[in-house]
Amino acid sequence: MTRLLFATLFAAASAQAVEPVVFSVKTMTAQMKYDTAELLVQPGQPVKITFENGDDLPHNMVFCQPGTDTAAMAMKQMEKPEEALKRNWLPDDARIWAHSKMLNPHEKEVVSFSAPEKAGSYPYVCTFPGHALTMRGVLKVAAMGDKLHDLQFALYLGNWQKLPDFSKLKPHREGKIDDNLIQVKLDDYKNEFGVVFTGKLTAPKKGSYRFYLSSDDGSRILIDGKEVVAYDGIHPAGDIKEQGITLEKGEHEFRLEYFQGGGQIELYAAWKGADTQITPLSTWLHPKWQGGTKKQKEFDPIPLVVKDEAVIYRNFIQGAGNRGIGVGYPGGVNIAWSAESMNLSLIWRGAFMDASRHWNSRGGGHEKPLGYDVLQPTGEVTPAFLVTDKPEGEWPKWDKAKRYEGFHWLGYSLDAKRSPTFRYTWQGVEVEESFRVEGDGNKPEGHAKLVRTVKVTGKLPANAWYRIGSGVFESKDGGFISKGPVPFRISTESAQVAGQNLVVPAKTGTMTITYQWAQ
Amino acid sequence: MKRLLFLSLLCSPLLAADPVEADFYKITTFATPKETAMEVGSIDLMPDGKLALGTRRGEIWVVSGAGSNDSSNVSYKLFASGLHEVLGIAYNPKDKNLYATTRYEITRLKDTDNDGRADVFENVNDSWGVSGDYHEYAIGSRFDKAGDLWVTLCLTGSFSSAVPFRGWAVRIKPDGTMVPTCSGIRSPGGIGFDADGEAYYCDNQGPWHGSCTLQHLVPGSFQGHPGGNIWYDLAPNMGPRPIDPLPEAFQANRKEKRTDGDPDRMVAERERIKQLVPPAVYLVHGKIGNSASAIICDLSAGKFGPFSKQLFVADQSHSNLSRVYLETVNGIKQGVVIPFRSGFASGIIGGRMDEEGRVFVGGSDRGWGARGGKPFCFEKCEWTGKTPFEVHEMHAKPDGFEITFTQPIDPTSAGEVKSYSMREFTYAYREEYGGSEVSEIVPTITAAKVAADGKSVRLTISPLTKGHIHELHLDGVRSAEKLPLLHKVGYYTLNEIPVK
Repeated sequence: MTRLLFATLFAAASAQAVEPVVFSVKTMTAQMKYDTAELLVQPGQPVKITFENGDDLPHNMVFCQPGTDTAAMAMKQMEKPEEALKRNWLPDDARIWAHSKMLNPHEKEVVSFSAPEKAGSYPYVCTFPGHALTMRGVLKVAAMGDKLHDLQFALYLGNWQKLPDFSKLKPHREGKIDDNLIQVKLDDYKNEFGVVFTGKLTAPKKGSYRFYLSSDDGSRILIDGKEVVAYDGIHPAGDIKEQGITLEKGEHEFRLEYFQGGGQIELYAAWKGADTQITPLSTWLHPKWQGGTKKQKEFDPIPLVVKDEAVIYRNFIQGAGNRGIGVGYPGGVNIAWSAESMNLSLIWRGAFMDASRHWNSRGGGHEKPLGYDVLQPTGEVTPAFLVTDKPEGEWPKWDKAKRYEGFHWLGYSLDAKRSPTFRYTWQGVEVEESFRVEGDGNKPEGHAKLVRTVKVTGKLPANAWYRIGSGVFESKDGGFISKGPVPFRISTESAQVAGQNLVVPAKTGTMTITYQWAQ
Repeated sequence: MKRLLFLSLLCSPLLAADPVEADFYKITTFATPKETAMEVGSIDLMPDGKLALGTRRGEIWVVSGAGSNDSSNVSYKLFASGLHEVLGIAYNPKDKNLYATTRYEITRLKDTDNDGRADVFENVNDSWGVSGDYHEYAIGSRFDKAGDLWVTLCLTGSFSSAVPFRGWAVRIKPDGTMVPTCSGIRSPGGIGFDADGEAYYCDNQGPWHGSCTLQHLVPGSFQGHPGGNIWYDLAPNMGPRPIDPLPEAFQANRKEKRTDGDPDRMVAERERIKQLVPPAVYLVHGKIGNSASAIICDLSAGKFGPFSKQLFVADQSHSNLSRVYLETVNGIKQGVVIPFRSGFASGIIGGRMDEEGRVFVGGSDRGWGARGGKPFCFEKCEWTGKTPFEVHEMHAKPDGFEITFTQPIDPTSAGEVKSYSMREFTYAYREEYGGSEVSEIVPTITAAKVAADGKSVRLTISPLTKGHIHELHLDGVRSAEKLPLLHKVGYYTLNEIPVK
């Protein structure tokens, strides 16, 4: 994969004849943004953009000259809205040099043009009224930098945890690299070796330059004998290390040291100048260098912090259906209750919820719990109560287009610490459920427990069961251990395993159920 | 158009001090608590001059002192939090509780220990569906005269209806039962009542909507988008399901010419679909707004200026208020929309006027962008006591329009035909998203007759076109004091042409 990706890009990087570049840009559903905030091209490079409007409003993509105040340009249309409407909201402005059509929702268009010959940052924007403030990006036009030259390698053998002082070691093998790209192509050595690459790099002018490095395992780059960027030790190549340096105009000594302990072999290096793009110095290209585009980042988190009172969050919570009610309790234990199945959907510990998905833009999607060790004792949105003569049989499954019959949601009341007691009726019987936390869920060894109290008032129908767990359970020490991905223990009086269900015969009165993570 | 503009430049004294909106209506921006983003989604009045604000972040704030002339007197108390998006808040004077319309439920909030924070949250009604799609907004009203709450339920993704009653307006009776009331809703932005208590909502440009609209919620009616009509089986009180409007594209793209008229016109489909109620007023796209929201009726009996009983419609994207005068012709609501006040700090979503004629508004720009520029706001708009020179009312007549003004007019300029211009257009009523102004007609204004009292003018226009929006420009009209109109354009939706 990596190598393939590289092949296409490197063709562009190495040759003066510029190959066409293809991008895909989508509008983000309900966020008033393009999914791509930056496109990187070379001067004069043929560009093809597949522009897809996945949103449910019309959007276009209008490319302008550097320095254009795109928001003001889009806003200016409102002075003569009739004319703007006739132009389908494409501003009549000489600074526009390329644009898409105004795409209706779920339309697609391929926009082709040649990048400007002049390097610079060319803004692009949606000019539909009201969109320009957030729906924008930059087409960056910059040339590729020079490659290394006179590149040589020296191979060393040894078992290291960190980069050794190669100057004190004797190379096992040395040679020249014809294509002047850093590469590890040692069919005879897979583990326990090191390579030192030396060569020359020409700075086109005095100025600041930036070097990028990633490797599995350790590596560092030296310029004129001085370390610029290092990523030493045993590790995968997940991160890219980078560091800036000022270079005089002219030729500089380049040195890259690398060692491999065991397992994966990866090595990526690149540099960039003030007027040039990130230019690979290695044959392999890091997957995070996303082929000339910078995708939009997710929202900054808005964690809902639980202090000395319970915190309630009613919104779309992943794993709790569409009528989920999140409760973060002091003590680091959290639940999501479903006002659809009138049942506990999730329990987790640690942090409560991150509201950023719902409190940014249009707020679409289901957010997962922010903490860890998420338990789903009986499935996403399944009721606990069921009249059945076969408790070992299947419980009703969630159909999000339908409501469960026989249940009626009444709401909740809060106690002095804002802990809710949920209320509902089932078959005319009134049920109250509340929860309290013991131990400390924020600590792995905090012996955190969730104690659930279920109070049933009224006459239950015959053969009424209350399910507290689904899956495989093993009876142990008066409780039941779940064999799911996150092991946990449930205990209550008169619980019994019935097939894949852990059930209790439903009865009037109060029942207490304890949920506990296996230590 | 150009010639008219030129003329008006010549005639007008071109004073730097030509009146501006802010001379007549003042906007005050309130500071809001730092610990939250006050993304106001709904506002209602409470006793003792307090306000309840429901927010997109699911909070309810009780505000004191917002009516004070000193905006630093405002204070906030967090009454409830953690609700799923409060786009409707209603104070019930009977039980003294707040009712919140949230994503999937109307919740009654009680403060049983009187500490200023709600501690009981009761489900009043949750019988409409929610599929998990972000666009399924539920926008609720305050209480109507019968004690009902009205809720408009946005379609799934604003296109279709995945779960029951998406695309409907429903009423929740005082006993908590739900009455399906109107079908045909697309993407509502706000709901409110006129001075007679009739309910209206704003819909947004999209499929079957060439423009945002103000629509009259007549119980039993079909409001135009057929996406939610699959639920008629669940609403026996509504009678049989209406026949669907024809989805085809508008005439210019059609292969064969039809001889039976333009089926993709609201006026033609009204003949076929008996439950179809046309938009009372098209809030002309791009000119009046792009994202219509709150509906506010002036019941202040003059404390908000000369527009008693008229409606004010907010817009999220344009961050403005527009003014609507409605009349009933042949049993159908119709009327004119005129720009009123722009320059609010963010996109307006919720709004409410108090008895003293103070309009409280608030909102956020989240998701769709807004001209105001701020991410959220809570503001007040008040009359300064100066009366602007404005079109007051516009009445349809069999052969034209009668226009009344807020101030005496200059009989010379108002009596000249060349002081006016008009164009007529409509939107295709079709399945495709949005649409341009089509079937333009430029009528002739044959007479402009000033009434003897110098307060109104009677325009004779040929032709009038049923179903068209009649866009009237009054660039040349001057007041008796020789001032131009503060807003020189009005858009009248002529659903019906009166017989007399």
